[in-house]
Amino acid sequence: MAVEQLKSDVTGSVWKIVASIGDDIAPGDSIMIIESMKMEIPVICEEGGRLVALHVKEGDSVAEGQNIAEIEI
Amino acid sequence: MNQSTPLSNEAIEPADWSAELQELEQRRQWSKGLGGQEAIARHHANNRKTIRERLEGVLDAGSFNEVGSLTGKSDRADGRVNQFSPAPYVCGLGEIWGRPVSIGGEDFTVKGGISWSGDRKKGGQGGFVEDLAHDYRIPLINLIDGAGGSVTSMLRRGYSVFPGVHGFEQSVRLLGEVPVVCAVMGTAAGGPAGRAILSHWSVMIKDTSQVFAAGPPVVARSLGQTITKEELGGSDVAVDLAGTIDNVAENEQECWEMIRRFLSYMPQNVWELPPVGDQSDPPSRREEALATIIPKNRRHPYKMHNLIGMIVDKDSTFEIAPRFGKSVITSLARMHGHVVGIIANNPMVYGGAMDAKSARKQTHFVELCDTFHIPIVFFVDVPGFMIGKEAEAAATLREGMKSVYVGLQASVPMYTVVVRKCYGMAGMGATDKNGLDFKIAWPSAEWGSLPVEGGVSAAFKREIAAAPDPKKREQEIEKQFRESASPFLTAEAFGVEEIIDPRETRAYLCRFIEASIYKRKTALGPKPKFGVRP
Repeated sequence: MAVEQLKSDVTGSVWKIVASIGDDIAPGDSIMIIESMKMEIPVICEEGGRLVALHVKEGDSVAEGQNIAEIEI
Repeated sequence: MNQSTPLSNEAIEPADWSAELQELEQRRQWSKGLGGQEAIARHHANNRKTIRERLEGVLDAGSFNEVGSLTGKSDRADGRVNQFSPAPYVCGLGEIWGRPVSIGGEDFTVKGGISWSGDRKKGGQGGFVEDLAHDYRIPLINLIDGAGGSVTSMLRRGYSVFPGVHGFEQSVRLLGEVPVVCAVMGTAAGGPAGRAILSHWSVMIKDTSQVFAAGPPVVARSLGQTITKEELGGSDVAVDLAGTIDNVAENEQECWEMIRRFLSYMPQNVWELPPVGDQSDPPSRREEALATIIPKNRRHPYKMHNLIGMIVDKDSTFEIAPRFGKSVITSLARMHGHVVGIIANNPMVYGGAMDAKSARKQTHFVELCDTFHIPIVFFVDVPGFMIGKEAEAAATLREGMKSVYVGLQASVPMYTVVVRKCYGMAGMGATDKNGLDFKIAWPSAEWGSLPVEGGVSAAFKREIAAAPDPKKREQEIEKQFRESASPFLTAEAFGVEEIIDPRETRAYLCRFIEASIYKRKTALGPKPKFGVRP
């Protein structure tokens, strides 16, 4: 089992977290939605896996490249 | 009387050159032995292939013709060669997809692939390998695995060489003539690292290759920073953060496949058009999902990669720099077999806004396509240049305008397909102002000098502030603007040349791209460069 860091592609703020720790995330599903440039940008887990950690909460600011969640593959 | 002197019997006896031929064979064997079994084993233990294995891996089977196989240094006594150390560079003529290429690379097993020159240089910077690509007008592949010169050469020579004694002049010339691919196979610093950048497309290997101006020992000495070579120039930095190298391969095998794939889109040189590929995917293919892919809610993004995949020939894309400047997607692809360059804004990253990194990526890709006569298709969904403190500090405006400038100089046919937003200077940079200025839109398209939201709040600031319910007043004015922003009204004025059903996009583009071949044939040869880039 490998744990992979999920990074934000954008600077913005966490608008909504749509998955919970322990959830099995299907490939292509999103974990949270970040608001940036007036868009609701989903953070997508391309390969899928189990969500084991969240480093941010709703309302937090995030920077481009910041680790925001951990996925166990 | 017969004037010619008859040959004596002795003269026509077969001459015995067997000793010399044996020596030739022996020397070839030494050369194939590279830096010796121990050095090769160490190299393999680091998960790296030798230069000869690499040449076999990337080229068509059995197509390598070596040039300079006897270069090196022999240790002689009593007229006999006791030991031979080959030059740390192997080069020659090979084939990829049945077309000739000039190819070379450092042999790391001999003195770490140190920079080498005899009477003539083989490669690395300039050298025979680059002369061959230039003179024969064939692509060049550099397999880089060396750290450049060493200070020890100063002691050997007795003097210090001026920078550029083996310069980059031929490397630069090649960029306007033939496709140049550079693959960083190991740790590249100094000259070899610089050489990697002078390419149309570059690639490195995850975890086993690094690239930097100077490595950890020099950094520690000069700046007091303790850093590993992977932290300094591994693909996380060189590809993802800096865009120094375009793509990353998981391993050497994948690297060979990527090099072969990249070259499959390229002509042999700028004096010919790119090869036409498989034409089995019919231009008439209509993907129903295109009719619903753009969300009605303007705040919702969608997967631009999926949109591209439905329009171009099946499985025909090869994305350049997918991990850098992600708000724009640059991808080679085919449409009814014809090579095209796709430039598409990615709404998943900053709503598709052009930042300094994506602008840099677009600038390079436009030049690549223009140089090799590859038509460009823009799938436009751009709200404008990226804004904010970080964006200004990163010189987004300058990098963005550079990309607009390069787009306006390019003369290859371009197609602007507006799928949603097309705003501002970044939007203008997605048009063919130097050519037909052919703009096609989907019914979901919208455009202007700036998006209505920001524009209204700025232009009607006082009126909104004075209203009893400012938020409501702002929305009322925005609604009024939106009603006149319908793309159909612009089409009435021929301000956009056509509006199409998204499902017709493939057929429509294929038709015009095939028809553009006559124009492209008249523009063969090197593209002129003029003016000063902003």
